[in-house]
Amino acid sequence: MSTTIPTRVLQTATVMIAAVLICSAAKAGQRSSDDASRTESGYLTPVEAKLSVDGTRLYVVCEDADALLVVDVRTKKVVGRVAVGHKPKDVAQSPSGQKLYVSNEWSDSVTEIDAKTLKVIRTIPAGWGPVGLTTDRSGKTLYVANSIGNDVSVIELATGSEKKRLASWRSPHHVLLSREGKYVFVSNMLGHLGPWDQAPVSELTIIDADKQIIGQRLQIPGVIALRHIAQGPSAEGDDLVIPFMRPKNLNPLIQVANGWILTHGMLVLHPSSEAQGGYEISQVLLDDIDEYYAGANGVTFTPDGSRILVTASEANIVSVIDTAKLERRIKAVPREELPNRLDSAATFLEKRLETGANPTAVAVSRQSDRAYVVNRLDDSLTVIDLTRERVEGRIDLGGPKEESTLRKGEKLFYSAKFCFQRQFACVTCHPDNHIDGVSWNLETPDLGKDRVANRTLRGISETAPYKWSGHNPDLETQCGPRIAKFLFHSEGFNQEQLADLIAFIKSIPLPPNRHLAADGQLTLSQERGKKVFFQKNCDNCHPPATHYTALRSFDVGTANRYDTSGMFDVPQLDRIYEKPPYLHNGEALTLEEIWTVFNNEDKHGVTSDMTKEQLNDLIEFLKAL
Amino acid sequence: MKYRQVTLAIIPGLMLLLSTKGRAQESPLYTRWENFTTANGMPDDKVFQAAVDGERVWVGTENGLVLIEKGKIRKVYNTEDGLANRVVAGVAVDPASGDVWLATFGGLSRFSGGEFRNYKNFTSGLANDIVYAVAVQGEFVWAATTAGISRMNTRTGEWSIFSEKNAPLHEPWCYGIAVTDKKVYFAVWGGGLLEYDIAGGWWKPYNDPDGELEIVLFQNQGLLHDIVSNVGYNPDTNIIWASTYFGLSGYDGHNWHNYLSTDSALASDFINAVQSRGDEVWACTDKGLSYLNFKTGEWITYRPAQGGNGGDIVITTLDKKVEHRQSSTTLAHNYVLNLAFQGDDIWVATAKGLSHGMREPNPQSIKEGNRNEHKPASR
Repeated sequence: MSTTIPTRVLQTATVMIAAVLICSAAKAGQRSSDDASRTESGYLTPVEAKLSVDGTRLYVVCEDADALLVVDVRTKKVVGRVAVGHKPKDVAQSPSGQKLYVSNEWSDSVTEIDAKTLKVIRTIPAGWGPVGLTTDRSGKTLYVANSIGNDVSVIELATGSEKKRLASWRSPHHVLLSREGKYVFVSNMLGHLGPWDQAPVSELTIIDADKQIIGQRLQIPGVIALRHIAQGPSAEGDDLVIPFMRPKNLNPLIQVANGWILTHGMLVLHPSSEAQGGYEISQVLLDDIDEYYAGANGVTFTPDGSRILVTASEANIVSVIDTAKLERRIKAVPREELPNRLDSAATFLEKRLETGANPTAVAVSRQSDRAYVVNRLDDSLTVIDLTRERVEGRIDLGGPKEESTLRKGEKLFYSAKFCFQRQFACVTCHPDNHIDGVSWNLETPDLGKDRVANRTLRGISETAPYKWSGHNPDLETQCGPRIAKFLFHSEGFNQEQLADLIAFIKSIPLPPNRHLAADGQLTLSQERGKKVFFQKNCDNCHPPATHYTALRSFDVGTANRYDTSGMFDVPQLDRIYEKPPYLHNGEALTLEEIWTVFNNEDKHGVTSDMTKEQLNDLIEFLKAL
Repeated sequence: MKYRQVTLAIIPGLMLLLSTKGRAQESPLYTRWENFTTANGMPDDKVFQAAVDGERVWVGTENGLVLIEKGKIRKVYNTEDGLANRVVAGVAVDPASGDVWLATFGGLSRFSGGEFRNYKNFTSGLANDIVYAVAVQGEFVWAATTAGISRMNTRTGEWSIFSEKNAPLHEPWCYGIAVTDKKVYFAVWGGGLLEYDIAGGWWKPYNDPDGELEIVLFQNQGLLHDIVSNVGYNPDTNIIWASTYFGLSGYDGHNWHNYLSTDSALASDFINAVQSRGDEVWACTDKGLSYLNFKTGEWITYRPAQGGNGGDIVITTLDKKVEHRQSSTTLAHNYVLNLAFQGDDIWVATAKGLSHGMREPNPQSIKEGNRNEHKPASR
């Protein structure tokens, strides 16, 4: 005999179960964000190094160890270690060198350290995801780029309080104080949110350090992944150099076989009162015609200005550039041609030196005789004798001697050697294991069709199937022969490598949720949005129990003329606020646009009857997931 | 650039300048006016509001945003530059970031470091794209729209909407915003003056005690009329002023101070905006710019002379003595929409151009220095 349960009871029960699941998911998110396994793995994972003001020590930031290491330059030994916050990314020094400031990306704080005693003085709150930082010339103010908040905290060091936040653009990364102290330069990793079928535009944000306001936003077309910033000596014209990646994302990826789809280089900004924006901006490629140097990242001038060192973090190379020859090249080739000239590097390059795995940063001694390259995945520094331009040795920072599966997988993820002509690695399009913010024309049966936005790799282990089409049932399929054939155009990974790589990808954690209170309590707006979420049956396709994805495809009316199918894999909603643009092709630049612009047929939920207030609340709830 | 063509020559020596003899209490007299119109580089004669940022003056017009620097038109921005809409009804400068926020008829624009970023109803949480006013209060940006009040938290990106559904707005249509450290005030069309307490998150409405009657039953009983066109907060006296289309109201936290053209020298009861600092209260009316010295009760009204030859200045003392004077230069038009202070100078938005009013140096003004540097008192 069957029993009929009233619909209302079922609905109530559904909401209650969902609420429990939301709480569980929120807690799970917190747990995974702790990322305990990585910290306890013993790996140091150095990401940044700066020479002390007196040049005797190297301060090395280790993101998986939550530590700052101090290396004696003379003895090449680690002589100190300071525990800092979670996921430290950069270190800055006071002008005297007496104090150090370490940004803690996942703790949303800065650790202030006494450089002499190596004692932590205090922890200073910053914005969301602090990364690059610098003091001003007086040492009274600290500028901190917040990668998640998309802004820069201006911190008054006397009080340790934040005076203001200045909007940068997307994922601000590195920060440099100009030599004379008038400007603070901020590079942005991701390009502007713009038309999905256009080439990206990135920004160098320039802060007026006297007024502490945004002075200028330099728009850089065609490039993304602006990383470190270096300024040449005055004698060399105060030029700025900034590594970049130049994606040809509008071309079908079948072009990988012909090269030139992703190129890597650096901006050269020459101050000029005659140039619009005050700088003559040149984009110079560092690749060779038949071999690429992916992951342009760390950069520095030698103090005498004669050379520039740039790390190719996915090729395990540091390129040594002759500044005078570079200048001649820039003058010789029309500026509009230069970004696409793969024959440039040969004209100014002095050496390509091999480093350890994943060289992310480089520092040069004041005497211009030594360079120290940070090998992120080797827990080491490569020491380069700049007089002879050869690798002199290696400084072991003390990580485990045996490679774990995860570390092997991570090295594969960060290595471009599996791609035809080493054009790119997995991480090239997934910087920080996340997104590059652009839409790609992948190789599909119909060339030029099915352009898709990049998807994050954070927290995806339980969200199969993969790809927007949902055609890949598991990561083995996603990352195996298909990637080899359609992306890398090479042999790809062998079975053992594939297993390591997938283990690593599955271990990529979700970062902490900045929109969710520490106790998991929803705000009033989020509570209201939660009701809207369930009243509108959003959970049908975005069930809380499975990371807010039904693990299958639906047609929500978002296909356009480029799409061969209207069925798209339901994306997980965890940390959705970190992932614009939205929808399969990145057409929706904001969460609002998903419903205000791209849901005219009410196929992506019946939302046309929603009030603006309800939509705002719904979005606040989604951001809490 | 051809922008710089001041319509009226400034020749102080030739100006019919006025002795202030006979006036018990000296109020500043604005006798020199420099006008900016389409004739000398403005994109439109209708000017809604000016906002001062040091030596820069940002001007919202019916056809774009204008930057005036050191008295010269430096640049005109419009939609092709990224502005959300050509009609710029409100302008606010964030003193912390230097960003300029623009209330337009196509959404909210943020001008930062030479680039525009727009927030529209479809692309953000903004309540409506018709935005009349914008104000910055710490990390929050407030926008007065035809569908209520929108607030954006610039740090978290959270948008909140306050309308008749969740706040005591009789009407959602808002025209003006004034911010203090602790309060935000709104001019609600047909809904009176609205106060928001930032710390407590509560609202307090101020309405006309005699309803919508267009007469005043008892003077100083309360807000003069519910049709409030704008609000202005005086950081020195902590008085919030409300301009209505039926007179001028001020509230000091205890008492109301109301002014009508029938019982004062206010030029007109039809007031588009009010701004105030120190003892100065400026009413932007459809019949000229009226100044009230709140301390002495003296009124001064500025308007173009009939026939277009110079300006009339009408001075009315507390004991009703009226003195008429003339100036060789004057406001661009008698229909005044708003006003902004720049030190001793004032920038006046009118229906036929922007007017830069300069007063003659006198010992009092020198002593007072730049009033823009006053630190507002907390209310």
